[in-house]
Amino acid sequence: MGKKFKRDLSSLGDIFEFIDEFSVKTGLDESVVFTMNLVVEELFTNMVKYTSGNTNKILLELKKEENNLIIHLTDFDVDPFDITETAEVDTKQSLEERRVGGLGIHLVKEMMDKIEYEYKDRQSKIILIKHLEN
Amino acid sequence: MFEAELKGNNEIMLTGRFDASQVEKAKMVFDAVANSCEVDFTDLEYISSAGLSVLLVTQKRLSKSGKSLKLTNMNKHIRDVFRYAGFDTVFEIA
Repeated sequence: MGKKFKRDLSSLGDIFEFIDEFSVKTGLDESVVFTMNLVVEELFTNMVKYTSGNTNKILLELKKEENNLIIHLTDFDVDPFDITETAEVDTKQSLEERRVGGLGIHLVKEMMDKIEYEYKDRQSKIILIKHLEN
Repeated sequence: MFEAELKGNNEIMLTGRFDASQVEKAKMVFDAVANSCEVDFTDLEYISSAGLSVLLVTQKRLSKSGKSLKLTNMNKHIRDVFRYAGFDTVFEIA
């Protein structure tokens, strides 16, 4: 199922509701729901924050195929931003060394099994795959 | 729904879902913290990197005067997020 959401942090409540609806329909457990909430929030907020001046809605699509959860987030009429090529965060740094920010994409990489990025016709699409346990 | 409530001088209760839309509300409470403080996660269901950043900024600021936040009663999912972020080494988590 898919739905477009207004490019604004105030859409997060509606996004979480949409994820809940999908999870009930497909019988996902609460730990997968938590993960979906987090990865979708991180990528959606990145799209909102780093593409100012664009009023296009962002498309979220959720699918369950066999034992895979597949999440697509598509941003329209934007410049490319390939999250698979972002720098790694050093989580071993001390408190003094730690930078504030940059953690969102790191969390997505930690929590998902596969991340792909496609850019075509000014459409930026992030594909996330999570293997579900039986 | 999200609430960050100061209880007494050195305890903050977090309730609900701490997502990116709640940062300003949380900052109003955390920016006013001047002493070591316990943050109770008992009723917090969810946190994202936006919430982690508010906690990290506060911890960095307090550490300059030898003070710190102590985080208590996290649910398993939130504890995992702290571990993935490497925050289990920059906060005391009880």
